Amino acid sequence: MSYRAFLFFLVMGCGFGAKAQQFATRSAHIAFLSETPLEDIQAESHEASSIFDAATGQIAFQVPILSFHFPKALMEEHFNENYMESEQFPKASFRGTVSGLDTGAQGEQEVTAKGVLEMHGVALEREVKGTMTRSETGWSIVAAFSVPCTDHDIDIPKVVSENIAEIIEVTLSANLEPR
Amino acid sequence: MMRSPWLVALLCAGASLVHPLFGQDDLMGFFDEPTGPQLVTSVFKAGRIINVQSPETSGKGEMNFIIAHRFGRISDGWYDLFGLDNAQMRMGLDYGITDQLQVGIARSGFGKTLEANAKWRFVEQQMGGGSPVSLTAYSVLMRDGLRFPVDGLERKGVHRLSFVNQVVVARKCSPDVSLALIPSLVHRNLVDRADRANDVATLGAGFRYKLNNRLSVNGEYHYLLPRPIEDDYVNSLSLGLDIETGGHVFQLHITNSRGMFERAFLSETSSSWQDGDLYFGFNINRVFQVGQRR
Repeated sequence: MSYRAFLFFLVMGCGFGAKAQQFATRSAHIAFLSETPLEDIQAESHEASSIFDAATGQIAFQVPILSFHFPKALMEEHFNENYMESEQFPKASFRGTVSGLDTGAQGEQEVTAKGVLEMHGVALEREVKGTMTRSETGWSIVAAFSVPCTDHDIDIPKVVSENIAEIIEVTLSANLEPR
Repeated sequence: MMRSPWLVALLCAGASLVHPLFGQDDLMGFFDEPTGPQLVTSVFKAGRIINVQSPETSGKGEMNFIIAHRFGRISDGWYDLFGLDNAQMRMGLDYGITDQLQVGIARSGFGKTLEANAKWRFVEQQMGGGSPVSLTAYSVLMRDGLRFPVDGLERKGVHRLSFVNQVVVARKCSPDVSLALIPSLVHRNLVDRADRANDVATLGAGFRYKLNNRLSVNGEYHYLLPRPIEDDYVNSLSLGLDIETGGHVFQLHITNSRGMFERAFLSETSSSWQDGDLYFGFNINRVFQVGQRR
């Protein structure tokens, strides 16, 4: 009997072990800023999803474009209708692998994630630097990167080129919990 | 007896070992899980399709200034420069109390009419569950301000008031095509002739077709439902173009209705397309953010 129980726990242990390596959230925060001498435009979303597999180092983020909110309703409309075309391209995502992470270590660690950033229908290889911190139960992730609008075929007409920056600064923070 | 637990253990252990190989699929599966319905936005570009209300309202804290003109009859030719010599004007201010509720005031030169109105999108269209259409209620109170009406009837206080209540049932069918169905009820406290009814109902339809991100073709038609007594009024038909440039929306159109408030274009249109009695006109929408949105 004890022999069977041992086997049972061994098997269960294996199963849980594999599962506990995955951390996820559906309320990651992504903000961006377009800075020009004329106007600063900021928007943020609290509805980004993220998942991280500590065993393989794979990491992924995804955010619905419509979940970005602006201080002015008109900005939000222009963002969705004219620039991101959010009905055609409803989501932006990053899928990649984290390197430079010691999953056993405590404290903040500088890491690099290499993968594919996809938005507005254009997928590009990117390397994003950030930090990961082991919390009591999961991981907290902070990263910042910039996105040139032209890289993703986001067309900004001349009339508003003084109001919208060519390079958009994006910041991201997420608290991932065991899945 | 001893074999079966071994077999189970082996199978389970095998599955656990294989598990990490499926890691990538597992990660992506997380994003495929449904996260609830998504709001459908920007069904029309401006607060009006042309004359009639669209489901769009001013965002919270947004002040929308609308200046609209309807020129004279195009068929008047060179003498009136195809109508451009005679313009009717409407100036309106709309304010968004929430992203769904808007109040407004306006003044039209046509009949020296003052308006107070309210608009509320009480059901939103959603993708992936939720309502397939948006429902917007619009209510407007109009006061005729003419000192010496052409009919010679003396008007006092409430005689000058008329009301329109309507519901805009709208659906964005694809990113390019939006449709609206708009039943309306018009009530006039006083009519100018005995053969005109105080209450008139219309059934309207409107559409928007996007040519590109900043340009669309719009149209609307209002069918006057049978009245107890036939008057000389006809159905309203308008066709136009929406042009968006940053903070402005320009709407250019041709219509057989010259009045720009609901009572006039829904129930008192007298020029007909068949006779070529058409008016060129425009609406200019300018948005100012005056209040906090969040």
